[in-house]
Amino acid sequence: MKAKTIGASLSVVAGLLMSMAAGAQEPGITEKSIKIGIFGPLSGPNMAYGFDVVNAAKMYYDKINKEGGIHGRKIEYVVEDDRCNANDLVAAVKKLVEQEQVFMLNGGSCSAAVVAAKDYVVRNKVPYLMLNASGDGALYPPTDYIFGAFSISQYAVGGAMVEFAAKSLNAKTIGYINHDDAYGAWNLEGSQADAATNGVKLAVESVSPSINDVTAPFLKLRAANPDVLLIVTYARPAALLVKKAAELGYNKPIILSVTGTASLSQLVENVGKPALKNFYIQEVMVDSPGGEKLKPIYDMYKAAYPDLAAKPDHPQTYMPYGIPSAMSLVKALQDAGPNPTREKVLEALKKQDFDSGVMAGRMKFGPEERAANKSTIFIKYDGTTMTPQPGVFTSRWTYKAK
Amino acid sequence: MDLQLALIFLQQGIASGLVSGSVYALLALAIVIIFKTSEVPNFAQGEVFMAAGYIALYLFVFQQMPIWVVLPATLVAAFLAMALFRRIVLDQVAKSAKDLVYLVIATLGLSYVLKGLVRRTGFGDTPRSFPALVPTDSVMIGQASVTVLDLTILGTALAVMAAFFWMFNYTKIGRAMRAVGMNPKAAQLVGVDLGRCHMLIWGLSGVISAIAALLISPKILMTADMGSIVMLAFAAAIVGGFSSLPGAVVGGFVIGIVENLVGLFISSRAIVLAPFLAILLVLVIRPQGLFGGKLTIKKV
Repeated sequence: MKAKTIGASLSVVAGLLMSMAAGAQEPGITEKSIKIGIFGPLSGPNMAYGFDVVNAAKMYYDKINKEGGIHGRKIEYVVEDDRCNANDLVAAVKKLVEQEQVFMLNGGSCSAAVVAAKDYVVRNKVPYLMLNASGDGALYPPTDYIFGAFSISQYAVGGAMVEFAAKSLNAKTIGYINHDDAYGAWNLEGSQADAATNGVKLAVESVSPSINDVTAPFLKLRAANPDVLLIVTYARPAALLVKKAAELGYNKPIILSVTGTASLSQLVENVGKPALKNFYIQEVMVDSPGGEKLKPIYDMYKAAYPDLAAKPDHPQTYMPYGIPSAMSLVKALQDAGPNPTREKVLEALKKQDFDSGVMAGRMKFGPEERAANKSTIFIKYDGTTMTPQPGVFTSRWTYKAK
Repeated sequence: MDLQLALIFLQQGIASGLVSGSVYALLALAIVIIFKTSEVPNFAQGEVFMAAGYIALYLFVFQQMPIWVVLPATLVAAFLAMALFRRIVLDQVAKSAKDLVYLVIATLGLSYVLKGLVRRTGFGDTPRSFPALVPTDSVMIGQASVTVLDLTILGTALAVMAAFFWMFNYTKIGRAMRAVGMNPKAAQLVGVDLGRCHMLIWGLSGVISAIAALLISPKILMTADMGSIVMLAFAAAIVGGFSSLPGAVVGGFVIGIVENLVGLFISSRAIVLAPFLAILLVLVIRPQGLFGGKLTIKKV
C-alpha cells in the first residue's frame, strides 16, 4: 500500500516536472505575456507595401491588450525592418527567433522576399503567419508552419482578375502582362486556371520588373486585339504601361492588380487623369480604401497614430491588410487554450475559418490549404472617384500535389 | 506575324529605340569622355544621373521654383559635384595609391553615397514622374507613334551631342582635353593644367548626365534605382568602342533600337538580354567596338 502511494506520488511529481519542462521549452511565453516578432518594410523603396500594414497589426494587438489580452496574457511585440529584401528579411527572422526568442512570427509584405525565410522557419518549427505578402512559394507545397496570403495569394490575384474580365466585361481575349519572375509565374498559373474554365484566350507578355521602355510589350499585346488589358505587375511598370496605353490611344478597359496600387494618388500624378478613362483596380478588401465598411479600421488608425494620420497619403493604401493576419494570430492563440504551445497554435490555425470584416473573402485554412483569402472586388477609378463594381470574384486555383 | 504588322513593329521599334537610345548615347558619352582622359570607368555615372533628376524634382515639384531656375541650378549642381569629386576625392586617392583600380573603387563608393543620400531624403521611396516640360501628345511618323516629348528628347540629345563635339574639336579647351586624353605628360609640357582639365571633364560629364536625367525622367518614372540604366550606357560604350566619342553615340542608338526590336520580334522577356547580346556580337566580330581604333597590345 505504502509502495503504491509512493509510486503514485512520484508519478504525479514526474508529470508536473514534465509539464513544467514542456512549458519552459516554449520560447516567448511567460505567465503574463506572449512575445511575437513582427517584420515588414519600414524603409526603402517598397515601404509603401508594408509600413502602415505593420502599424495596423500593432494597433490590433494593442486593442487586444487593452481588452485584457489572451487568456490573461498580454501580447508583447518586437518589430524589425526587412526592407522587402530577402537577405534583410532572413536576418530579421533569425534575430527575432534566436535573439528575441519570440513565440511566433507575423511579418512580410513582399512575396519574393518572404520565400527566403521558408527553410529557416520550417527547420526551427516556428509558427509563421505572413503579414500581407502573398508568398505563394512559401505557402505551397504546404508545410505545418507557414500560413499566409491574408490579403490574397498571387495565384488568386490572377485568377480573380480573369473572372472579373470574363464575367463583368465579357472579355473573350485578354491581354495579360506580368513579371518574368516567380511572382509573375504564380499569377499566370492562377490566371490560366480561370481562363481555361471561362473559355477565354490569354495573350501573355512577361517583362522584367526593372523595365524602362514598355513600348515593345505593349504593342505586342495590342496586336493580339484584346478586349481587356490586365496589368499584373508592381507599381512602377504598371504606371509605365498605363501611360504608354494612353500615349498610343488604347481605349479598352485596363484592370490593374492589387500589387500595382501602392499609392493611387501617386499613380494619378504619374500617368495623368486622362489615362484613367476606362480603368479598374483590383481590391482585396470588402470595400474601397477608406470606404464605409472599413470606417472602424480607419478610425482606429486615427486614434492610434494621430501624427501619421495628419500627414498626406496616410494611412497608406494597404494599411487595413495588417488586421486579418493579426486577427488570425490572436484567434489561434485563443483557440490553443490557456497553456499554448507552438504545436497547439499550429493545429488551431489549420482549422481556422472566420470573416475578418476587412477582406473580400473568408480567412480559411485547411489540411492542404495555406492561403487564407482568394476573393477580390473591383473598383472603377477615374483618378478622383472610386466606384465599387458589383460582385465578389474568387479564383478557382487550388493546390494539387505534383 | 503578317507583313503589315512586321512593318509597323519595325517602324515603331526604330522610332522608340532612337528616343531611348539618345539617352543611352548621352550617358555613354559622359562615360567615354572620362575614360578617354582618366582611364577610369565611372561606375557612379548612373547615380549622378539619378541624383541630378532628384535635385530637379525637388526644386521644381517640392519647392515650386520656376523652370528657368531649376534647369541651370541642376546643371550647375551636377557640374560642381563631379568636378569637386574629381578634385577632392580622386586626386587624393590617386596620390595615395597609384593603381587605377582604387579610382574605380572610389567611383563605386560615390554611387553608394548618392543612392544612400537620395534614399535618406525619402523622395526615392516612391516611383515619381518629373513633369514633362513639353506636351505629351502623340504624332505619327510613318506608322510609328511618338510623342512631342519623344521628339524633344531626341532633338535635345542630338543638339547636346553636337555642341560637345564642336567643343572638343574646335575650342581651345576642347583641344586641351583631347591632348590630355592622348598623352597627359606631353599635354602638361605644352602648358595644359592637368588638374583643371580633369575637373572640367568630370564636371562636363556630370552636366551631360543631368541633361539625360531631365530628358528621360518624365518617361521612365524616377526611383533611387533609376541609375541602373547606366548598364545600357556601358553597353553602348562597349558596342561603339570605349575610346570613341562618335562610337558612344552610335552605340547608344544601336542599343536602344536593338532593345525594342528584340522585344517586338523575339520576346519581351529577352529585352533585358538584348544589350548583352549586342555586346557579345560586336566583341566577336570587332573586339575594339564599332568605332574603336586598332587593337594594341600593352607590355606590362
